[in-house]
Amino acid sequence: MRWLAVHLPCLPLEIFSRGVATGTPLAVVERSGGGPRILLPNPPAADLGLRPGMSAGAARALAADLRLIERDPVREEAALAALAAWAERFTSQVSLVPRGLLLEAAGSLRLFQGPRLFLGAVREGLGGLGYQARLCLAPTPEGALRLARAGWGEIMEDLHALRQVLAELPLQSLGLEPEVLGALGRMGLELTGGLLGLPRAGLARRFGADFVLWLDRLLGEAPDPRPIFEPPARYRGRLELLSEVHAAQALLFGARRLVLELSGFLIGRQAGALRLDWTLVHAAPPPTRFRLGLLEPLSEAEPIIELLRERLERIELPAPVREIILTVDCPEPLASRNGELFLRAGRRDGSDIRLLERLRARLGPERVRGLSLMADHRPERASRQTPPGEEAEPAGVLGSGPPWLLARPEPLELRQGRPWRGGPLVLETDCRRIESGWWDGVDQARDYYVARTPEGVRLWIFRELRGQHQWFLHGVFG
Amino acid sequence: MTSLDQLISGRADLWRGRSPSPSAGDGIPSGFADLDALLSDGGWPRGALVEILAGGPGRGGLELILPALARLSRGSRWVALVAPPLDPYAPGWAGAGLDLSRLLLIHAPDGREGLWALEQALRSGACSAVLGWPGRMEMRSLRRLQLAAEAGQATGFLFRPEVAQVEPSPAPLRLRVAVRPGGLEVRILKCRGAWSPGPLLLDSPKVSSVLRQALAGVAPAQAARP
Repeated sequence: MRWLAVHLPCLPLEIFSRGVATGTPLAVVERSGGGPRILLPNPPAADLGLRPGMSAGAARALAADLRLIERDPVREEAALAALAAWAERFTSQVSLVPRGLLLEAAGSLRLFQGPRLFLGAVREGLGGLGYQARLCLAPTPEGALRLARAGWGEIMEDLHALRQVLAELPLQSLGLEPEVLGALGRMGLELTGGLLGLPRAGLARRFGADFVLWLDRLLGEAPDPRPIFEPPARYRGRLELLSEVHAAQALLFGARRLVLELSGFLIGRQAGALRLDWTLVHAAPPPTRFRLGLLEPLSEAEPIIELLRERLERIELPAPVREIILTVDCPEPLASRNGELFLRAGRRDGSDIRLLERLRARLGPERVRGLSLMADHRPERASRQTPPGEEAEPAGVLGSGPPWLLARPEPLELRQGRPWRGGPLVLETDCRRIESGWWDGVDQARDYYVARTPEGVRLWIFRELRGQHQWFLHGVFG
Repeated sequence: MTSLDQLISGRADLWRGRSPSPSAGDGIPSGFADLDALLSDGGWPRGALVEILAGGPGRGGLELILPALARLSRGSRWVALVAPPLDPYAPGWAGAGLDLSRLLLIHAPDGREGLWALEQALRSGACSAVLGWPGRMEMRSLRRLQLAAEAGQATGFLFRPEVAQVEPSPAPLRLRVAVRPGGLEVRILKCRGAWSPGPLLLDSPKVSSVLRQALAGVAPAQAARP
């Protein structure tokens, strides 16, 4: 077994800062005993001299426009859980650890043809989500974790290599309890190698059996089972925007992070998203909601981001946005849709689907339509706009008539006994009688003609066979 | 070495005065033999804009291209209508021989979005023909559409007002159409590699015979309703 430890040293800060690119100084503070103290400054704040452990007052003296945010452990946990679901794209065995994740990596190593490419992919993926990580690949979970936290070595091929690297690690970087560290220091030990060389029986008497078990697990001499993270059935990602975002296009920076997170979640489940529900939270309710509907389930992030970009261009924000929430309630299993062609005789390269997706994202699904014949003789009911690419009605309803129909018939003037529109209309064809619909109460009895205006416009007109025998304009030819 | 000929031969937006038309016969048959004989590609050009100046629906512009659209709709690509001026009536299009399942209607809230959709459809490679009814257009926009049509190998039929005749255009083919008592009068205003001999009258019976042929080939059992 090989384990990849992912340690997120800046998680408490990044959950706030990853939504917008900002150049203003910012720091997360933690209350412990005395007043609030700086836990993590962002790079602009660090440039001004802010350091972890500094009191909030001292920090403010260094940076006038400093923004201080209280640490939020609940959000950190939620962010880690979302990350764990994302990491399932790499392996089915993900475990949560404090400020990090543990991934069983044997399968991924084969897939990525070696540890370097694998670690590179994980690092790049985390970067896209807005997290910096320290990674360590080792044959034991505990070894990988301790070395990742210490930032000491990245790839341990086997137990022997792990032991060698650990031996060089300063004891204070191993993350021991303070009293254990103190006792070992008083014994004159500085490097972990010294601890590893001590007889276990003595260590057990001094520090307890648990400590020795931990040491055995660190070195791979005792099994170390880990609880496996259970991903939720649906995706729900939240992203706080540190500074309020006014332009819809600027939301893409943060929204992209959520889509990438969703993509990992979907790939891990071998599923795709068909409907992405977005909520943009403003200072005052109600939030702006919109749905990005896709024609086929997608799991890859880039096509979704491309569609989202189009969609965001069409959105007008009533107020600045403080938070973005993305929900996908029903991920669609991808396997079950394989082989099920959405479009009859569709393009093999998928360019037709991509065109539809782009158009729908920007214009809205209701503006991207197909045209279908309906089995009805009444012109008002013989044509319907349907989703594009649908099969036409079965044979027997093939019609005739003009390519254009008015939304409702327009009455025509009658002059000297002839229908008139900018001049007398010349009837070009014999009539076509349509009598239909007596069974559903919308019955029609009409004689249709092709007529031509003096300027040469060809029209489709009819005369009612009942009532006042009124003439109407109903369609226009090509 | 790349010769000048190679550089310019693939471009539909370059009008070569005395072109030997190496691509002759490559066009989409219009369904009117008399018209095909005058067009340098032997039909509607592929991957290019065709401007039809007719002055509104009902004046023959669409009727002129329906036979070609019927043929194209039998392929795997879309025939797209971008922001049509009126509601399309399915029996009319089916009656002209179109496979409706390949017809794509794109409605646009305004002219700007319509132009965007036109360009997307032309460029996508997913459409064999794209029909647009843009209003006034700048040369720059027309050029963009022409390049998009080349990139996506789509024929872009633009229905434009008659006044556009005096404006310059990168479209390699421009014609005027009018309905006359005898049929359609077509006047070729500009055709890459060919010279217009004056107006051409395509008579109406011919139009319907073309449609009948199209229908006969497609759905022999289906006749027009009484």
